[in-house]
Amino acid sequence: MSTIGTIGEISRTGARTNRAAQLIGVRLYGLLLILVLLSLWELSARLGWVVSAYWPPVTAILRAAVGELAGGDMLDALASTLRRAAIGYIVGSVVGVVLGILLGKSRVLRLALLPLIEIIRPIPTPAVIPPLILFLGVDDALKIFIVSLASFFPVFTNTISGVAAIDDTLIQTARTFRIGWLRTLVSVVLPATLPAVTAGLRTATSLTLVVAVLAEMIAGSSGMGYYLVQMQYALRPDLMYAAVLYLAIVGYCLNRAFIVLEARFVPWIGKT
Amino acid sequence: MSERLGFEHVTKVYESAGADFVAFDDITLEASPSEFLAIVGPSGCGKSTLLKMAAGLIPPTKGKVQLGGNTVSAPPPGVIYLFQQYAKSLFAWRTVIDNVMFPLEGAPRSQRAELRARCEDYLRQVGLSGFENSYPWQLSGGMQQRVAIARALAADPQVLLLDEPFSAVDALTRMELQTLVLQLWERRKFTAILVTHDVEEAIFLADRVAVLSARPTSLKEIIDVGLPRPRDQLATREDPRFLKLRHHLTTSLLAKGSGHVVAA
Repeated sequence: MSTIGTIGEISRTGARTNRAAQLIGVRLYGLLLILVLLSLWELSARLGWVVSAYWPPVTAILRAAVGELAGGDMLDALASTLRRAAIGYIVGSVVGVVLGILLGKSRVLRLALLPLIEIIRPIPTPAVIPPLILFLGVDDALKIFIVSLASFFPVFTNTISGVAAIDDTLIQTARTFRIGWLRTLVSVVLPATLPAVTAGLRTATSLTLVVAVLAEMIAGSSGMGYYLVQMQYALRPDLMYAAVLYLAIVGYCLNRAFIVLEARFVPWIGKT
Repeated sequence: MSERLGFEHVTKVYESAGADFVAFDDITLEASPSEFLAIVGPSGCGKSTLLKMAAGLIPPTKGKVQLGGNTVSAPPPGVIYLFQQYAKSLFAWRTVIDNVMFPLEGAPRSQRAELRARCEDYLRQVGLSGFENSYPWQLSGGMQQRVAIARALAADPQVLLLDEPFSAVDALTRMELQTLVLQLWERRKFTAILVTHDVEEAIFLADRVAVLSARPTSLKEIIDVGLPRPRDQLATREDPRFLKLRHHLTTSLLAKGSGHVVAA
């Protein structure tokens, strides 16, 4: 998901209006491949190249996807997944930025907390779901916690290394103009760390959907993860693939939105 | 307005594992109000450290830095440090005008418009009118250092400390910036202390040039430049006295060992 967005962005930065037409042509190539593959899928199902109850034609999947728009469980499932992912993402990111800056700035806190964090970090997030179920149940609390945990680490590690990488010249500049520590933190350290924070947020964005869906597959009775598993049991491959399609669309849109917001709010990334 | 700034027997020792490392030992040197003092020395002799002490950014191990009648222990008001690495000193997330406004942001909101007009004037003085809303990284190196200079002016410096401010730009831009700093200095009459390894730059700009030896660093000599002002990039540099000073200082810097100076 993120790779597609990034490549698109790179080819676009070099573009000027007189090259717009050429650019659309370039983009069409990529789109063409997708269309060819989808046509092959369609034909393979229609013409019986693949004989399987789990291989519906693309048009059947699209029909199911559109049908869900009119009413069905899927959009509700998607909404509850997104709600949990969003809450978990925000909680994990805020804690990650705050702790990253505190630990980046304070040696004492670093010595006290970093070993603990470094021990927790390598644990694959899904591995802690079963024990956590015992404490948090199978509903929102578990999933929001798991998503926060997953988004916390990339944000935290990027923030702390971003703080560490701030050039001393920048801090001394604030000192020579006799700027107090609080204003130095807010108007120098924070913006100087923002490119690193953004990189962490971006990694976290793609992780949150993954972890949210995964957690829903393992535990609970709502959300896209649960829905996918249910449709698998119900032998409804069309709805199953339609759910995957919706997740792909959402993931793609999130990534595009991230690129747009990044260019708008952190335009100096890579410029210093 | 300007201040007298003096180093009194300052020594800097860095403690490293096992052996202490003496950056420089017992340096006494003073810049009079409105004087342009240059400090030259081989690289690694601790010139920048000396200047950072004057700015209150690094404390001396022994001795003290005196500003007016007071001992410097923290960055004093009116003493502004101009960094060699302008790109790292400017705030990439702020526009040019907001960079220049930075030292003034503690002021009450009611004065904002007036201060902004003043900062626009500083930008005009450094030749950057029309670039207010650009970002530093959209400008050339020389223009970025001009932004840093305008920002220093905004802080109303009584003492301006220049840490090899022109060493990262091309030769032509360097001459333009030297002339600019001289014009601003003649207009504002702040005390200026310049650290450089460029002998010609030191002579061209300064009233006096202090020469530091290689490590262990000590003050080798102080020479009066005595060239007429205003100085000119061609006339001054072609003046026989300029060439004689350049010869003397270069010999002094190239001479091995401390203390012994071959006369020009």
